[in-house]
Amino acid sequence: MIAPRFVPVVFKQLWRHRVRSTLTLGGIAIAMFLFVAVQTLQDAVRRATETTASDTTLIVYRENRFCPAASRLPEHYVDRIEKVPGVLSAVPVKILVNNCRASLDVITYRGVPTEDLAGPGGWASRWQFVSGSLEDWLKRSDAALVGESLAARRRFKVGDSFDSSGVTVTVAGIIRSPEPQDQAVAYVHLDFLQQAATKGGGLGVVTQFTVRVTDPARLKETAAAIDAEFQHEADPTATRPEKAFVAQASSDIVEIVRFTRWLGLGCLAAVLALVANAIVLSVHDRIKEHAVLQAIGFRPSLIARLVLSEGTLLGLLGGGVGAGAAVALIRAGAFSLSQEGMSIAVGASWGVLGVGLAVSAGVGVIAGLVPAWLAGRREIASSFRAV
Amino acid sequence: MSHADTRAMPGFRAEPEAIERTGTPPSSGPLIQCRRLSKSYVKGDNLITPLRDLDLDVSAGDFLALMGPSGSGKTTLLNLIAGIDRASGGQLIINGIDLSTLSRGQLADWRTTHVGYVFQLYNLVPVLTAYENVELPLLLHRMSARERHERVRTALELVGIADRHDHYPRQLSGGQEQRVAIARAIVADPMIIVGDEPTGDLDEESARAVMDLMTRLCADLGKTLILVTHDARCAAYAKRTLHLEKGRLIELSGVRREEGASANHASAGGAT
Repeated sequence: MIAPRFVPVVFKQLWRHRVRSTLTLGGIAIAMFLFVAVQTLQDAVRRATETTASDTTLIVYRENRFCPAASRLPEHYVDRIEKVPGVLSAVPVKILVNNCRASLDVITYRGVPTEDLAGPGGWASRWQFVSGSLEDWLKRSDAALVGESLAARRRFKVGDSFDSSGVTVTVAGIIRSPEPQDQAVAYVHLDFLQQAATKGGGLGVVTQFTVRVTDPARLKETAAAIDAEFQHEADPTATRPEKAFVAQASSDIVEIVRFTRWLGLGCLAAVLALVANAIVLSVHDRIKEHAVLQAIGFRPSLIARLVLSEGTLLGLLGGGVGAGAAVALIRAGAFSLSQEGMSIAVGASWGVLGVGLAVSAGVGVIAGLVPAWLAGRREIASSFRAV
Repeated sequence: MSHADTRAMPGFRAEPEAIERTGTPPSSGPLIQCRRLSKSYVKGDNLITPLRDLDLDVSAGDFLALMGPSGSGKTTLLNLIAGIDRASGGQLIINGIDLSTLSRGQLADWRTTHVGYVFQLYNLVPVLTAYENVELPLLLHRMSARERHERVRTALELVGIADRHDHYPRQLSGGQEQRVAIARAIVADPMIIVGDEPTGDLDEESARAVMDLMTRLCADLGKTLILVTHDARCAAYAKRTLHLEKGRLIELSGVRREEGASANHASAGGAT
């Protein structure tokens, strides 16, 4: 936009009105903080609910039940599910949550048969152990493998014991998983949870089955086949792709988060107004100064680009502070949105920071366009007469 | 105050070389030619004509003072010559270039190489130091940072304010600010220096010092100097004085002697 030798001139112009610049930067930073937070929520919901062609997981739930406490299925269904054409594997899972409602801080227990978790090709094979080990989990019946986000949020470490929903477990390991649903849960032995939990039935009763299919393209057909298998049973099933299940279970959250896109757009509008206001005031204060620069030989287009650079710089600095603070807070907080036992991990990537910076710089440019154009087209002699 | 010898300083050359530097062959005639030069503009419902059919020639190295009552058109003429305003009629040719043929951008480029402007109220950029203010015109030229630094340092030494290079305008007196403004006007080695009442806001002693400085610099560097002034003592420094009234040339005083500035100042009053 401008040659590097002009950059100090732009910086000094902002420094000239420190109070105004600081207030403007503060406003931009707050708005961009909100924008990045909203974007992060949107991304988290999209990642957790958007089905892709490579999805291979189905969730089998009790028909017309939407809460883990209400969904009760016989554990022996697993044998019949595994015989349904297209099913690769089925794992019975019992879920216990300390809060069925939407919350940022839910502890979810998932009871899984030991062999399905720790056996060859079991779930643990796709996890990375941040601390502790699978062996430690196998040694104790009350052992839990805790997702990294939950551990960070509750400051759990290996060896700690904690109680949730009346069930006390001991942390045997902290895991890192590519699956969003693994990050905010504690995996325990299925039989332990069935006996320890006072709600949701005892031994032989599970909340859901997690099913892997052989062909992702036939996900819906396989789901229909599973439901057909149990449609005449006392406990009929409702089977959906995992991400569709998350979207339905967390529908309240998803709806609210989708609504927040308007909040994000409002933040951008606020940044636009703030930068435009600051630049208009600044240009108005410097009619004579711009005339002097033109008299020296600065081209009108250069004056306009200098003004535009001020807007961009304001946007970048404010956006950098706001977006950086949002990313830092979200990463430190390790939040996850949970409802009905399903979790949506809220993780801010540095890519979001890049998007925030690009957006704030873009908004800075747009906000500076009109003042820059006005500053550039002003005639020198009339500017001197005007002040 | 002691100033550096202008002829010994790098980056500043006598006018003939400077003209060649522009790439335009020096014309055989006057440096500035005004033919039936007019300027009009509309203000409200009225057509204002501050300059009417003015004919004027100014040679390279000349020192011209423009005098006249308020509204006589002297600042308008100065602005036209400086290329910061456009004529409504007639012709203005400077160093062989008809300024009316230049676009706004080309005119800005032309100003960069041809004109240094000294304002009555100095018009330094308040957020920049004296050094940075003087450096501003050089940012428009392709030169290394080292060369830029050399030229700025030289210009500040020429006006005797090098020791205040890191001071902001608010930390300088009026006379010092005007010297910085003069350094800014000469640093890019322009052909013409114009001043719009450059001593109008200064006390008598500072005004004399500024006029001494401008006269000496322009003589040593071979610049063409055109000043607008209300002060006969300042006009006394000029080789010629042009009197304007209602946009017309009333009187063109003859060639002045070229003695030292102090002698001119002493004869103030009868200068024209």
